[in-house]
Amino acid sequence: MVNSAQTVLSPSWPDRQHIDLISEAVVRVLKGTGIRIDDVDFVIDSGSDFLDGRSISNCGFLGAMGAHHKEESRVEEDGLWALTYGANKIAAGSASVGLIIAYSKPSESIVSNFWADMLEPFTQRPIGLDHESAAALYGQRYLARAGLVADDLQAVSRRAYRLAVSNAGVDLDAVPDDEAFWSEEVSSPLRRADFARPVDGAVAILLASPDVADQITARPVWITGMGSAIDQHFIAAREPDSLPAATAAAKSALRMAGTDSAKDYDLVELSGASTVGELMVAEAIGLAEPYSAIELYRNETASLNPSGGALPADVIMATGLVRVHEASSRLAGRTDSGDIGASSALVHGTGGFSMQNHCVVTMEVAS
Amino acid sequence: MTLTDTTEVARSSAENMHYMPAQLTIPYTLTPGQATGIFIAELVNKRLLGSRHGDEIIVPAQDFSGSTGEPASGFVEVAPVGEVQAFTTNAKGTLGLVLIDGTTTPFLHKLVGFEPGSLEIGTRVAAIWSESPTGNSVLDLAGFGPIGEAGTFEPKSDPEGLAEPIEQIDYTMTLDFKHAYGAYYGTLFDGVETGRRIRGSKCSKCRRVLLPPRAVCDSCFAPATEWADVADTGTIQASSVVHIEFLGQRKQPPYVYAEIVLDGASTRLIHIVGDVDAERAKTAAAPGARVRAVWSDQHTGSLGDIEHFELIEE
Repeated sequence: MVNSAQTVLSPSWPDRQHIDLISEAVVRVLKGTGIRIDDVDFVIDSGSDFLDGRSISNCGFLGAMGAHHKEESRVEEDGLWALTYGANKIAAGSASVGLIIAYSKPSESIVSNFWADMLEPFTQRPIGLDHESAAALYGQRYLARAGLVADDLQAVSRRAYRLAVSNAGVDLDAVPDDEAFWSEEVSSPLRRADFARPVDGAVAILLASPDVADQITARPVWITGMGSAIDQHFIAAREPDSLPAATAAAKSALRMAGTDSAKDYDLVELSGASTVGELMVAEAIGLAEPYSAIELYRNETASLNPSGGALPADVIMATGLVRVHEASSRLAGRTDSGDIGASSALVHGTGGFSMQNHCVVTMEVAS
Repeated sequence: MTLTDTTEVARSSAENMHYMPAQLTIPYTLTPGQATGIFIAELVNKRLLGSRHGDEIIVPAQDFSGSTGEPASGFVEVAPVGEVQAFTTNAKGTLGLVLIDGTTTPFLHKLVGFEPGSLEIGTRVAAIWSESPTGNSVLDLAGFGPIGEAGTFEPKSDPEGLAEPIEQIDYTMTLDFKHAYGAYYGTLFDGVETGRRIRGSKCSKCRRVLLPPRAVCDSCFAPATEWADVADTGTIQASSVVHIEFLGQRKQPPYVYAEIVLDGASTRLIHIVGDVDAERAKTAAAPGARVRAVWSDQHTGSLGDIEHFELIEE
């Protein structure tokens, strides 16, 4: 990965179209690399037709992606999967330079419908299941098992919002001081602050083969491991308070990277659709023992989601790739937010209804 | 006006931002298949069916286990009573995971008829059947309520007299959107609405004038940094007489669709050529024919403000 860029992630970009957000991210990711759009061999993008309000929406966005007369392919899953697709193309030797793009404008549609429309339509959708009640069903069981109450989850959410305020890439002036946001039950036992906040934005990553990468930057970020795994669709039949698919995804990425544990990484960026979701991911990938991830938040863990993570800024379909932008910027020293001396990172993304699908990518820079 | 910094232009136009509301309604005829089809069909008979997969019993009945992939070896009739494993209440009501007696996987459904605070993990519940069943919905089982006097029984293998599976369930997905025009479309549509002025953006590299205007040229990926006025007259590049009817059609066929290059633009605009009958259109609206916009009385700020294009007879 030789460069990455994103737009500001905002609850609403009312005066920008998808193409405006996409082209801004793409222009920025090429800037200063010496790579021109003509040098790009392929473009792989992530977005959702349902969120975009048009079918095969990537066809209308090709110009903004710089994909004119190029190989282009759409992944209907978080952009982190698009990254693995692109990395495999380059690793296979079929291309030298690839552009990975993910974007969404959830402000243009009704997010709860987007999630509910993923559901099996016979027994799941008609009963009124939505993404928040699904997360809350996990929440109730997780809290009971971990011996926590809903207020304890503020260790996760308040930290996330605090970090997002200092993240220039997230449109957030201050930690919300609205009492209802933190305390009022939206879907019991969870509150508004427990659910990821949908935001609009676009992100782009520039991938290159080793010979090209070495010409562009002295600090390319190398992808060392990739893995993904999916759980079953029916949430009633999934594990009640853990995410085995995230465990499987991490296991396969760690095996490929030749490392033993997520704890071996200097920096970890996770995507949680809810506070409880983020805790379960941390446990699933091996950062904490089952039902004890809250301690990572109670005892400030600087290496975990220094960006604030997905809770304050969930660019649905792009959140995992934003995590890559955050992690790779820090590894390559491209961020203003201070060098934490990290040389390796593990990134997690999720997709599907109530975190059904998980993807883990590991990366490192030469130290 | 020259667009040098797209971000700045976009932000400065935020005060007169525009949206296009849109609704997609997509009709489906859904096929529930064998297990789900029979499960739903049996709800009007107040029978709750599960499926057996080795040691697993799953309600609602499934053709395959989602955990092991094992096909169902048969149906079982289960008692419509169970125990709440988890629940959540939101503005719409309460949903709960109910472990039906004798089964291994909980059933997610509505919980109804509980006083606030009376529901707990472990609460025993019984089926509440719909008073007006439709015969084709999971909501023929309205949900689960307080257990009352309801009794239980062991799952009964291979129940007799099963209903035929529901073959088809009609469903319409409705999706609402509020699409932002953004600075470029916004400027075009503002001009169209107030002054019947059509403007494109000119690519800084290939110098083509792009209509509708956009920040970046589709072909060159170079910034399109200048506005360029475009006339409301143009030349047909291709045309087609539409005879077929289709969902969402806005005009009764036959009518003439044409790709038109407006004078001053480099890209094609698809619009209707009116005031010409279908037969004559084959020659009169052929490539090369000249056309002029006929503006409607409406000022909606869209290209729909052009009623249609008419042929310029020479």
